[in-house]
Amino acid sequence: MQITVSLHGVFRIDRFKLKTLEYPAGSDIQKVIDDLKIPVKLLGIMLINRVHAKSTDILHDGDTLMLLPLLEGG
Amino acid sequence: MKIQTTDPVTHPEQILYRRCTIDLKNGKQKMEDVPCQNLEDVLGGFGRSFQLLAERNISRAYSAENPLIINTGLLTGSSAMTGLRTYFSSYSPIKGSKAGLPAAMWSAGSGKFGCKFKWAGLDELIFENRSEKPVYVLIKETIDGPEITLKPAEHLLGLSTHKKIMTLHKEYDDAHFAVIGQAGENWQNVTMGSVALSTVNQLKSGDDKLRFAGRGGMGSIMGHKNIIALVAQSTDKHPPITKEVKEVHKQVITGGGSARLQPIKRGGGGGTWAAYDVMQPFHAVPVNNYRPQGNNLAEKLFRENVEKDYDIQSAACYRCGITCHNYISEKNPDGSRGDFIAKFDYEPLNLLSTNIGIHDPGQAGRLIHLCDNYGMDAISLGVTISYALSYNERHPENPLFNGATFGDYEKIRELIILSGEGKLPGIGKGSRHLSELMGETDYAYHIKGLEIAAYLPETNPGYCWAIAGGHMSMGSYGTLIREGLSDVDSWVKVITEDKLHIVGFDMVGLCKFFDITQGIGTDKIATCLKSDFNLEIEPEKIKAAVRRAFLLGLALELRQGYTKAEYCLPAEVTEKPNPHINLPNISNPEFMAELAEKVWEVFDKELEGLIP
Ligand code: SF4
Repeated sequence: MQITVSLHGVFRIDRFKLKTLEYPAGSDIQKVIDDLKIPVKLLGIMLINRVHAKSTDILHDGDTLMLLPLLEGG
Repeated sequence: MKIQTTDPVTHPEQILYRRCTIDLKNGKQKMEDVPCQNLEDVLGGFGRSFQLLAERNISRAYSAENPLIINTGLLTGSSAMTGLRTYFSSYSPIKGSKAGLPAAMWSAGSGKFGCKFKWAGLDELIFENRSEKPVYVLIKETIDGPEITLKPAEHLLGLSTHKKIMTLHKEYDDAHFAVIGQAGENWQNVTMGSVALSTVNQLKSGDDKLRFAGRGGMGSIMGHKNIIALVAQSTDKHPPITKEVKEVHKQVITGGGSARLQPIKRGGGGGTWAAYDVMQPFHAVPVNNYRPQGNNLAEKLFRENVEKDYDIQSAACYRCGITCHNYISEKNPDGSRGDFIAKFDYEPLNLLSTNIGIHDPGQAGRLIHLCDNYGMDAISLGVTISYALSYNERHPENPLFNGATFGDYEKIRELIILSGEGKLPGIGKGSRHLSELMGETDYAYHIKGLEIAAYLPETNPGYCWAIAGGHMSMGSYGTLIREGLSDVDSWVKVITEDKLHIVGFDMVGLCKFFDITQGIGTDKIATCLKSDFNLEIEPEKIKAAVRRAFLLGLALELRQGYTKAEYCLPAEVTEKPNPHINLPNISNPEFMAELAEKVWEVFDKELEGLIP
């Protein structure tokens, strides 16, 4: 299946902004996080098709997954 | 502090704090060791000062009866990382109820002044009445305890915050400083004056790298009292860092809360400024007076775009490993670092750039620099200017002031200069004052009279119950974006249980970034208290004290005439929902009405009898 992955903030450094990636059916968000070596301590927000999700949520063909760093205070 | 017990919960009276009360009218001083009455007194900061403010009935902020209380937290000057905070408390000239009474307020700042103040042997300084002549206050460590002298300050008048500090620095070795700018000197026309605190970086480099106690006009109160500066002179007294505290520091630096704030080269997210990158995908970065239009304008201030033309340096306060801010400097043609421009912290940056239509990092930096040097609260200033710009956009035929519009750097700069010099009370007295003058209050982005922080109110109904400014006294500002919570009951819990605990940091002397996710009712804090003071406190007891202090703040608001109808978001938010924000709508009237009912149901029961 094809998943569009959109990265934000520091996750873009040495990776990409937006890319469509191929994944086996049944893959969850954690699989993408692991493959892209996203630092877990910085990962704050995961969205599937703009809806908040958690790392165990299963992805489906055509989904857009957004990964954003933590948001804490100014 | 004189600590004669290991059990501050059962025996707070065996802990005494050193307080000096100065009557500015006649210069009389009273130095005393005051026994704590409860754990709030022991922890300090606003937990102690608000109990004192609750004893006063104050109807005008600029009055002789309104005290200015300067204190620290128990962990200020301790071995705990971020233990740098100084607190300024008083009835505020900018925050007040519609009934016309000023609200009790505190403002906190880092820098090294708080440590020096404490190391001079003082825990609290109260100023009564006002001085006839401008003075600065020298707090000096002596073998007999702290010695306090009022000194003529004419030579400091008219100088910027930075210049005042550097002038005093030439005179006083081993000292740190808390000063007002021209804004605070012109308190009659500027109610948003801040207090600037010197930093080690500033004194070393000579650049204006200050920290601020900005909120609520505490610098204007200082100006009204005719106190131009405070000097705390003492030798450094760092307690040794035990292995237990070292372990706590490790957790602080690697823990969730501060991870995003660490410099990128240390594997972090690059400071508070990185909030831009997280909020923009939701179109939740405030643009043009809190009305993002679904475009990519905010991206111009993403770090990746700023670093093309400017030098960025991660920066930290004295002995802090969190490193939450960034210094922006010119970049020389050869790529080396040029002149320092300003520091980028998320709130001042957004409110003096994107939210007023400025998207050039250099221009943003120069406006922040001006605001800092005149000594104004960047949040109140930015939001009041954005109100004026929004007014001018709606009334091009009859604009306010110099006719400035969003993005007009030169005219906005002029507004800041005039406000800082006390020549533009329309801006200097805040957005509520201006919007009421103009008869258009719907798009004035203040709550209870105090301008909100750089998070859209659409994302944070919790603003309404913040007791001393939107993001420092209610930690709910990131909840919708972070978690997508959109049901009333979850938000009731967020406001009444989880996120009010952020105020604990403004008691104990630490920055909220020490542990922003859990607050101060934790083993980490208990470990620091045990290690530095041999105090045994269960985290649950700390939590209970923080809750009591918060509730006292809320009770004080109600006593100062706030009605429950004033606990509301700016009308534009509820009446004209912004379709560009990619988040659930939790600011509609139905949601807000149900939320208010349920939140008050919880708080009302606990507020009974808090103030006699
Ligand atoms: S967290 Fe930031 S403001 Fe607080 S002490 Fe550290 S560097 Fe300073």
